[in-house]
Amino acid sequence: MKTLVLGLGNPLLTDDSVGLRVVQQLKPLLAGRGDIEVEEDYWGGLRLMERLVGFDRAIIVDAICTGAAPGTVHTLSVDSIPTQHSASGHDVNLPTALDLGRQTGAYLPANENILLVGIEAEDVITFSEDCTPQVQAAIPRAVETVLAAVDAVGKQA
Amino acid sequence: MSTKTMKRISIDPITRLEGHGKIDIFLDEAGDVANAYLQIPELRGFERFCVGRPAEEMPNLTARICGVCPEAHHMAAAKALDAVFHVDPPPTGKKLRELFYSIFYATDHTTHFYALGGPDFVVGPDAPPAERNILGVVKKVGMDIAGKVLKMRKDGHNLIQMIGGRRVHPNWALPGGVSRGITEEQRKEIEARGREAVEFAKFSIEIFNKIVLGNPDYVNLIKNDAYVHKTYNIGTVDANNKLNFYDGMVRVTDPDGKEFAKYHARDYREHIAEHVEPWSYLKFPYLKKVGWKGFVDGKDSGVYKATPLSRLNAADGMATPLAQKEYERMYDTLGGKPVHHTLATHWARLIELLFAAERWVELATDPEITGKEYRVLPTQTPTEGVGCVEAPRGILTHHYATDERGILTMVNLIVGTTNNNAPINMSVAKAAKGLIKKGKVTEGLLNMVEMAFRAYDPCFGCATHFLPGQMPLEVTLRNPQGEVIERLRQNLG
Repeated sequence: MKTLVLGLGNPLLTDDSVGLRVVQQLKPLLAGRGDIEVEEDYWGGLRLMERLVGFDRAIIVDAICTGAAPGTVHTLSVDSIPTQHSASGHDVNLPTALDLGRQTGAYLPANENILLVGIEAEDVITFSEDCTPQVQAAIPRAVETVLAAVDAVGKQA
Repeated sequence: MSTKTMKRISIDPITRLEGHGKIDIFLDEAGDVANAYLQIPELRGFERFCVGRPAEEMPNLTARICGVCPEAHHMAAAKALDAVFHVDPPPTGKKLRELFYSIFYATDHTTHFYALGGPDFVVGPDAPPAERNILGVVKKVGMDIAGKVLKMRKDGHNLIQMIGGRRVHPNWALPGGVSRGITEEQRKEIEARGREAVEFAKFSIEIFNKIVLGNPDYVNLIKNDAYVHKTYNIGTVDANNKLNFYDGMVRVTDPDGKEFAKYHARDYREHIAEHVEPWSYLKFPYLKKVGWKGFVDGKDSGVYKATPLSRLNAADGMATPLAQKEYERMYDTLGGKPVHHTLATHWARLIELLFAAERWVELATDPEITGKEYRVLPTQTPTEGVGCVEAPRGILTHHYATDERGILTMVNLIVGTTNNNAPINMSVAKAAKGLIKKGKVTEGLLNMVEMAFRAYDPCFGCATHFLPGQMPLEVTLRNPQGEVIERLRQNLG
């Protein structure tokens, strides 16, 4: 099962970079897996959808703002993410983008094969190249969450 | 309701808009709208983040501020560095930058029309929010359009990567020019895609003509007084006073359409000042020589707009033939220049899309575009400089100062949307005033208020985090004690 592990974020906006940091740690850990690509990206919506074309399954890692304790690691499905921007703005939301892509005949992972791993952020509006301490401390847990999901992928393949 | 009751209505969050913009509507004793505010959390600490770094990092660094318009920041930063290092790029360097920028513009305006602003018109302002999105546009216009829009965007992104050398944030424009040129083979590819872009833009205008202008209700909506603001307009023009996105003089026209000022970007501080309100993180730029008179229209108020429509109003015309024809048609249809109907901004955006595509082809077929002299090396001691481009959402200004080693000592940015902060608030208030009378909220308020500010294509957020949970659009009416007395909701698509 061809899987994309994709970290999203803005590297300069404090905790918004956490998705990028998680996949940076995952790259060496998953280097031997020919069925898995680990990438970083910066966009949501249509560009995120375009990035998923050709994959059977996707695990998307990004910061999230729900009001939970900073550093909480959430797992979500496409159907449970928000109605508006799933990641990045100025674009359509991910479910809409996926619908549009499928309508044009693009091969995309089924919604149930897209897992979103969200790390609760504390600050996403201050310019800094460092995460806040609790979010930084959550990175290993997020890495474990992705690895567990990746194994589940392997077993099902 | 009792006298002296001040109700507060909140609309939060704003659909299809990034960031966490929130609208508060305050009612007076009679239950009519006293004021409406759009509150935006501003990103913090950018200047502090930059000071102490080498100035050459700015085109790269500022491109990372934002995932929406990295190319605009990249260009403004490179132009500011030209000034800081006292160097003038050779013609090929300038033309390559403008080519790159035209491709970006065509791509960005496509996204706005089809995914963000267009659905209000194409699907209809009264359609349920779940249908007022790009899928609704596809349903109405036909399946064909989805493929066309995605192809247009993809071609644009691919060419930006081809020219800029990186898929993600461009690392290409430098003080004195650009880091590499293009080959004849690449030029041919760019030209071919550009010709398709012109066709796509013509097709988009046809859709607008057929669906929007062909419907008297929509034309009346555009002309509706609730969406009119007679303010100053600002935009960049070339030597013939025709619109240019990349370079030229900044021109300001008054509410009657007469030239009020024309200045070089480096003099922006003589012309633009920023007003501060206690309830807003974002400042409110205004024309210094007119002065801040509050959130009001007219010649005596320094409020200006910097949108696609403003750019068309501030220019004497378009520099390409097809766009010029459409420019004339728009003004003929709407009763001459200047046009102050906010919703006509969507129309102006399509005319700009056509201009960007035509300019793309012009530059791709320019004999100098494949030249080998695309950069001159800076040799003078760096000092201070300003760079301006027309970002899709309004004029973008970068201003840097450095020490003699080129280390940044000061950074000031006025981004596109910030220019429009005052008019956006005025538009929201005016739309709300038309739809809330004596404490009664007319159905469709949320749509109409949203349409008022969406015309500006505002961009508030540069982070990409998920915003989870169900996010209905919500209006809450509260009594003075803060208790909810009424809550209106609609679920979004």
